[in-house]
Amino acid sequence: MSQQKILSRPSVGAFMSKYGIVVIFVGLCIILSIMSPVFLSMRNITNVIRQVSIIGIVSMGVTFAIITTGIDLSSGSMIALISVVVATLSQNAMNPDQPVSIVMPIAIAVAISLLLGIILGAVNGTLTAFGKIPPFIATLGMMTVARGAAALYTRGRPVGDLKETFTFIGTGSIFGIPLPIWIYLAMGILAHILLSKTKFGRHVFAIGGNEQAARICGINVEKTLVKVYAFAGFLTAVSAILLTARTSAGNPTYGLSYELDAIASTVIGGTSLSGGVGSIPFCVIGALIIGVLNNGMDLMGVNAYWQQIAKGVIIVAAVLIDARKQKRG
Amino acid sequence: MNTEYVLEMKGVSKSFPGVKALKGVDLAIKKGTVHALMGENGAGKSTLMKVLYGIHQPDEGEIIFKGEPYEVKSPIDALTIGVSMIPQEISPVPNLTVASNVFLGKEIISKRGLKLLNQKKMVIETQKLFDELGIDIDPSVMMSKISIANAQLVAIATAVSYNADLVVMDEPTSALTDKEIDKLYKIIRDLKEKKNIAVIYISHKLDEIFSICDEVSVIRDGEFIGSDSIENFDKERLINMMVGRTMDEFFHKEEAEIGDVVLDVKNLTLSKKFEDVSFTLRQGEVLGVAGLMGAGRTEVMEAIFGYRPAESGEIFIDGIKAEISEPSDAIRHGIAFVTEDRKQTGIFPDLSIKDNIIMPDIDAYLKNGLLNGKKIKENCQEQREAIAIKTPTLEQLIKNLSGGNQQKVLISRWLLTTPEVLILDEPTRGIDVGAKSEIHRLIGELAKMGKSIIMVSSEMPEILSMSDRVMVMFEGKCSGIISREEATQEKILQLATGEKLSL
Amino acid sequence: MKKTVLVLVAMCMLILPTAIFANGQQEDGKILIGAAMSSFSDKGQTYLQDGVREFDAENDDVEVLMTDAKDDAAVQLNQIETLLVKGVDAIFIVPVDISALKPVFKKCKEDGVKVVIGNRMPAEELWGEFDVYTGSESIQAGILQAEWVAEAMQPEGGKVGIIMGPLGHEAARMRTEGNKQIFAKYDNIEIVMDAEGKWDRAKGMQIAENWIQSGANLDAVLCNNDEMAIGALLAAEGANLADDAIIIAGVDATPDALEYLGAGLDVTVFQNMNAQGYNGAIAAYKLAKGESVEKWDWIPFETVTPENMSEYK
Repeated sequence: MSQQKILSRPSVGAFMSKYGIVVIFVGLCIILSIMSPVFLSMRNITNVIRQVSIIGIVSMGVTFAIITTGIDLSSGSMIALISVVVATLSQNAMNPDQPVSIVMPIAIAVAISLLLGIILGAVNGTLTAFGKIPPFIATLGMMTVARGAAALYTRGRPVGDLKETFTFIGTGSIFGIPLPIWIYLAMGILAHILLSKTKFGRHVFAIGGNEQAARICGINVEKTLVKVYAFAGFLTAVSAILLTARTSAGNPTYGLSYELDAIASTVIGGTSLSGGVGSIPFCVIGALIIGVLNNGMDLMGVNAYWQQIAKGVIIVAAVLIDARKQKRG
Repeated sequence: MNTEYVLEMKGVSKSFPGVKALKGVDLAIKKGTVHALMGENGAGKSTLMKVLYGIHQPDEGEIIFKGEPYEVKSPIDALTIGVSMIPQEISPVPNLTVASNVFLGKEIISKRGLKLLNQKKMVIETQKLFDELGIDIDPSVMMSKISIANAQLVAIATAVSYNADLVVMDEPTSALTDKEIDKLYKIIRDLKEKKNIAVIYISHKLDEIFSICDEVSVIRDGEFIGSDSIENFDKERLINMMVGRTMDEFFHKEEAEIGDVVLDVKNLTLSKKFEDVSFTLRQGEVLGVAGLMGAGRTEVMEAIFGYRPAESGEIFIDGIKAEISEPSDAIRHGIAFVTEDRKQTGIFPDLSIKDNIIMPDIDAYLKNGLLNGKKIKENCQEQREAIAIKTPTLEQLIKNLSGGNQQKVLISRWLLTTPEVLILDEPTRGIDVGAKSEIHRLIGELAKMGKSIIMVSSEMPEILSMSDRVMVMFEGKCSGIISREEATQEKILQLATGEKLSL
Repeated sequence: MKKTVLVLVAMCMLILPTAIFANGQQEDGKILIGAAMSSFSDKGQTYLQDGVREFDAENDDVEVLMTDAKDDAAVQLNQIETLLVKGVDAIFIVPVDISALKPVFKKCKEDGVKVVIGNRMPAEELWGEFDVYTGSESIQAGILQAEWVAEAMQPEGGKVGIIMGPLGHEAARMRTEGNKQIFAKYDNIEIVMDAEGKWDRAKGMQIAENWIQSGANLDAVLCNNDEMAIGALLAAEGANLADDAIIIAGVDATPDALEYLGAGLDVTVFQNMNAQGYNGAIAAYKLAKGESVEKWDWIPFETVTPENMSEYK
């Protein structure tokens, strides 16, 4: 009875419980724009979104995994591996010093890298779904293996001298807006549609909400999980390609602890670690909160030691506010 | 007077949201006796025992234990005062020794040194206890190495080790063979004769009651019905006391035209769950499935639906053999399954009513690969009106609905798959009276529309009023199928407790 | 009784060969040198390791056993123990953690194995514990880098930002310290920004982008390593800043950085990692043979600019 009452009378509490994180984000932006006049300039805004795009794209894949009550710890290391692979396939000329170096059209290099991401993700999914290994462990294994493979593949060195057609992906603009932002937008729309408008997306929620009930409803839980991790792998590959193109190099040290930033974005965006709840637009907001924080503190020249402390405190505070509202709701 | 009874409960009442579980129950247990507590599923036995054990606090009533007012806030309090309980499903810690299990929570610790566990002393003490009770188990062996029957005996020893004056045993024989049961009886007799311990014995098996118990109390629908010495009972009288209920308040199924056989189940077997179950289901028919908890009813339904497929046996649908190895196969064959436990296997708590409804039949709402919001809304709206789901909006999260409304959403979910066979497992468990009669009316209507329905239920009146035929299960086997005309509460209970039909 | 005898015999058989060849010779006459490296996946370190390999390849009477501690001090300790068990004659260590060296020195001393430390300088109280140090002083890199930048900024002076390696990392700390010492001497130069770039190109790029956006109008960005400096110059490029609008300085003179030198990157400092590795291996070899070696083997840093870069390619 009492719940119905709350619903028929929209209250501040109900609004906060749904859009609390947006309010936090807007508040953060207002504070930062007061403290730094350039914060709200068009150039800085595109700047922030471009910087966020790499973690942002990864975190959308992580969102899928977390909704199914899983997790993906391998994304950072997979970025490293895919970045060196795509770099060795996109060089201007063969490099005899590298173990692997092949010159080929950019489109094929990109396609191979995306496929690699999908395959690695599918391995994560298969281990989890059919091997019955907890996703924490399966992706932890992949995290270590991918990092090692990346170092092995290039003997621990970065791979540079990339074609301009390739680096354009990370540095170019269309209609004055950087390409990484377009790609982030495109991936966001794709992920959002997949999650909220397709059968696959409903199955993802069903498995996370109640796996046994999902089975009763005739859902193939194992197949769906493999797809979830394969999609996360795909997004990780997109991210890796962007990072490589943006920095004009692939490097086995790339992506260190990106998985944690991605998980943080996801959780700040209101995705419940106990599964069954989450959305892509909120995941984007979560990523933006972290991005805006980094940007704002650099703009203001906050001391590096304080930056880390402030970031940690704000992340925990955002989730804490979210958790309180969950309890009320 | 006070010296005669170890426990007196007077006028104990307990309510849960929406249900009055206990309505002024009296129970008096004499010292050193075995006292049977009888009643149907859901009569309130477990609630009463949970009150005694400090898990629930009574709303009203008085409890006197050994002549003193009895106030316990938790099982630990109960144990300290001298009441211990052996649950129906014991859960020992497999990777500890038998002795460690017995002393779990009251470990003996070395007096000197590092205050480590004194394993040796615990083994010695356990051995002493076992000798006293005539139990022949090595206390230093791992719990995982001993049989279920022996684990049950260890549980009894554990209960006694608290210096209990009163021990509650809930279905202690459910996992035991006849031989092991004899051993259990011997221990129980020793407990009351040598140690003057009283036992509250909960069981559905009438034979056991007559072999071991001294007194019997019966409760029904949360009310105390009567108490007497076992000599004054026979089986007829006991069953009558347990069921004796008027039927007027219940809805009666309308007559529906019964057609051809739709579902034919032959010799379905799944080891340790059910054995050789065969039955048929006709168009427009409601087949009630009765039996005690653990009789294997749900398991049979899960097997038919492919959730936990049977090892052997055949299922024919419209005369054609159906291969069902997972739920999607069953759905394709027109079978729908509203499960027993809404929380565990029914609802997706954080999804909307709409999403909960469309889940098994999602393909029907796809348009160019995307979900067709308009069609979803139309169909769900139709269902909402047809079966009166009470909610301000279909976007409402299902976890915010009452049990009855959740159940209606789940029924809607399966009706939209346009099934021929609808399996309803305990369709009215835990929902209020109003929603209950609505669901009963709905079942009648569906049958009239030509759907075939299997209704598993532990509520006798529901079975009797709704079913065209009743299948009764006992210990994994079908113990009888009786027609609507023949069916009485007594007969069903006889079949459900493993008795032969007396008529 | 029988068992005890058997065990004793077995032990003797195990000890005997080690005892015979304990004076620094393998069965096949080769000298065995342990090289406990900090990390195979740190790029700079790979040049040092190449130096060791070069030495190994050039000398037939040496066998080098190289281990990868994966930047984990505990792993390195285990690996050093294993090397000692294998009977190395001398050991060349690039420490993961210079503050965790005490147990290492103790073990080596127990086994009478000579120790060469490379690349990372142990604390002063430990200087008596090892035989040779080969490496460069991190602070020197910061000093050379800042000296060049400060000169280039004269006579106007201006504002600088420093992008640092991982906070608490010895090289990051000392290089930054070197920067600060030099800039303190100039009244017209002010350090207005610092941030942690974690040695990472993408991170360095992000910080530099933000600084450029902030309107702080930095005249120079000094980075603790080249990867972050490349990030910074990519950021400047992305913001369409003219090449001479901002001075960007790195450290390490990696092949990648040399590519960018003169095209955005203005200066870098060469730490001769290869020589550190090579010299470290030589020192260990000489010690194993019982020769005496100079305790401090300083490999100087060198300032690399577009003018002299051809020497470093």
